[in-house]
Amino acid sequence: MLKHDVVIVGAGLAGLRAAVELRKQGIDAIIVSKVYPTRSHSGAAQGGVNAAFDENDSWESHFFDTVKGSDYLGDQDAIEILTSEAPANILDLQKMGVVFNRNDKGGIAQRPFGGQSFPRSCYYADAVGHMMLHGLFDNVLKYKTKILYEYFVTSLVTDNGKVSGVVAYDIKNGKFEGIAAKAVLFATGGYGQVYSSNTNALINTGDGMAVSIKAGVPLMDMEFVQFHPTTLKSTGILVTEGARGEGAYLLNSLGVRFMSKYAPKAMELAPRDVVARAEQTEINEGRGVDGAILLDVRHLGKERIMERLPQIMQLSIDFEGVNPIYEPIPIRPGAHYSMGGIKTDYNGRTAIEGYYSAGESACVSVHGANRLGGNSLLDTVVFGRRAGIDIAEYLKTADERKFDESIVKRDEEAFEKLKKSSGKERHGLLKSELQEEMRADVGVFREENAMKKALEKIIELKERAKNIGIDDKSKTFNTDIVEAFEFNNILLIAEVITRGAILRKESRGAHYRTDFPERDDEKWLKHTLATLDGKENIKFDFSEVAITKFKPQPRTY
Amino acid sequence: MEFKIRAYRFNPEIDEKPYYKEYTVEDYPGMTVLNALIKVKSEIDGTLSFRRSCRSAICGSCAMKINGISKLACKTQVGPEIEKFGIINVEPLANMPVIRDLIVDQESFFDKIKEIKPYLLGQREDDARDNFHALKEGEKISQPVYYKYEFQNLTGNNDTPNCILCECCYSECGGVVGNPKYLGPAALAKLYRYCEDPRDNDKNGSRLVNGSKPDGMWDCVHCQSCEEFCPKGISPVKSIVKLHERTIKNSITFSAGAKHVVSIAKSIGETGRLDEIKVAFDSGGISGLINDLPMAFGAGLKGKIPPLRLKLIKDMDDIRLAYKELDLEEK
Repeated sequence: MLKHDVVIVGAGLAGLRAAVELRKQGIDAIIVSKVYPTRSHSGAAQGGVNAAFDENDSWESHFFDTVKGSDYLGDQDAIEILTSEAPANILDLQKMGVVFNRNDKGGIAQRPFGGQSFPRSCYYADAVGHMMLHGLFDNVLKYKTKILYEYFVTSLVTDNGKVSGVVAYDIKNGKFEGIAAKAVLFATGGYGQVYSSNTNALINTGDGMAVSIKAGVPLMDMEFVQFHPTTLKSTGILVTEGARGEGAYLLNSLGVRFMSKYAPKAMELAPRDVVARAEQTEINEGRGVDGAILLDVRHLGKERIMERLPQIMQLSIDFEGVNPIYEPIPIRPGAHYSMGGIKTDYNGRTAIEGYYSAGESACVSVHGANRLGGNSLLDTVVFGRRAGIDIAEYLKTADERKFDESIVKRDEEAFEKLKKSSGKERHGLLKSELQEEMRADVGVFREENAMKKALEKIIELKERAKNIGIDDKSKTFNTDIVEAFEFNNILLIAEVITRGAILRKESRGAHYRTDFPERDDEKWLKHTLATLDGKENIKFDFSEVAITKFKPQPRTY
Repeated sequence: MEFKIRAYRFNPEIDEKPYYKEYTVEDYPGMTVLNALIKVKSEIDGTLSFRRSCRSAICGSCAMKINGISKLACKTQVGPEIEKFGIINVEPLANMPVIRDLIVDQESFFDKIKEIKPYLLGQREDDARDNFHALKEGEKISQPVYYKYEFQNLTGNNDTPNCILCECCYSECGGVVGNPKYLGPAALAKLYRYCEDPRDNDKNGSRLVNGSKPDGMWDCVHCQSCEEFCPKGISPVKSIVKLHERTIKNSITFSAGAKHVVSIAKSIGETGRLDEIKVAFDSGGISGLINDLPMAFGAGLKGKIPPLRLKLIKDMDDIRLAYKELDLEEK
């Protein structure tokens, strides 16, 4: 068994940011990640990270934009922290070595983003996530942080209501390892793989959320799934909102900039939920182009495209066979981000003492019912940093606790049992069935009967999952068994999303019910909290939304 | 249309030696090699092992040899490969030990990244203050000024910060083939990236000193493979050449490689000719000369003996002029 003061699970931006904070103070924190840190999906973020720098901008305006963007479901005390700490966090990153493009005055260059009333997205061409991830990773190396990579965490271990460590599967040699700690931070990212046509990495299977709910920690607002308006038609690969920030048009089959109908003021730069719905409506009403919408950047000119959107240009050429300098890019909405997640406060604390979460896996909630573009990278560094600081404080008084090694044995046996199974079902195919069902019936537009159909499918898949066969019986780098476990995780998360979406009988932000098309503040201005009862059934509770400054208003753009 | 994937297979628990296994897959327009591998794994053979994550050429997980060339599987289309080779041959990256199938042990690669100290050393004075605080109502933050030109070598599309550490360059690197301890192109490109950073404050040039040690920047054999095979269009070898220049300019000339370059420049500057014996002596000292003796004898037997005394060439004035232009005189 290994023993450290802090275990950080996940090595994307939130995990690395917390690690830097802890290691700076010389705290014995270890990073555990199922991939090498630089493979984390934070690196795929493209367009920008928001902070008010300009003299004509203000953090208060960023604050309001974020509250309005969240459709008033975001907790305003947390959003105030997010936006008022944003500029200092960006400068901190810059000091750590992250490079941002510059404006003519020698400051950080900023571009417009959806739902923001001022151009306040800081960027590094269209690869800011990559830049931040590698910059923070370099700092993690600077502070000589121990990293266990290619370790898959299977359980959270507690002792008398306090966290005491995690159980991890060493993918390289097939051994289970207990890692005892006084504090555990899950920065495990989202669950995009619940849906077909998503922008996410294949590793984004909601593992941290699944482990949490099984450990008794509530998942909050899981019915709110962001569909990104611009993902490549064939592959779902992300095309940054920065393209529209730079001035790109969205066109239907008639060549019309249809956003004038849905968001006459903000047009293409309306928030993502609004644009994704507008696109899907155009497609559904027969004004799509082969089931897609066109994203046109041609009028920006070759030079600007090459300078500001080089990755987008290359991705369109490599993955869609379209050169955006000469042709519009076929795009459609795709599952992108999880507004919901492990319920935390604004210091990353969860329901279990010593157990923290930050980044996409957490739900503070600063994104409420809909996240604004450029706020997720911000979320990772603001709350990753805060969690690191709070953990350091917590350790000063945290007492010793027992690590129950029987949990290691339990997980090992579950793996062995699954590995021996020679059932007929293939998890790869079950996953495709689940993803397709979720896209079709728990997607951009939702309706009770369709969602009930999805739930039936999920229950059927849970049954069939008992019959999964594993081809690979070996201990060395057995990705077959890891993928089977990941499938079980997304299956559980899909059920939480679907049940939450059926429960919430209103339309708010990204959750749009055709049978309840209005927002209902009286009944539904509240967070949903999902937990498991003793028999693995999902049950729901509610909690209040923190409203400090801005009373809910109708949300138009 | 159906096509065949021929995959390198090796599981140390079962196999005495590696072998190849063929799978037949149905093609579709736009299918990538990664799509094909995932199809094989989920539908035919779950034991086929490979790394993958983002599927959009930004995470660097799925680098492998595809028909002999190190590439990202997610970015490589099946169609053109089949057209050219008739088959998709997949093998693990070279220059690293194989763990299993297409998965290599990357530890040595990442150890070398750590070795070059990939972070800012020190801080520019006006940016060093720790001024972290949440803004109060109505408060604005002031930011340190850095002009565009200061970052001009770090913000271009093909500049080194765009490196995704996929190891394609490392797998193709001729220098690593010859010397497995050689830092390799990705680590050196990263070293250059931090040297080039206007915020860096490495006053005594410790980074360059470090990079000049044996197995460092002077072990590059200039084969250009890193540039040729980089899936992100970056040229590590150009970074390495710039590191050489910086090192000489900062008079960090303790390494054999730097001495070699200085001696060649000096020899040509003085006589217009390459005094090979002197260059060998300057670079390696007496022991270097002794080490070179067998080669010298071999060359002698073939009639290739360098002249012991060099005569000035006719156009010496032109060379002096060129040196002056290049600002090489005092170096």
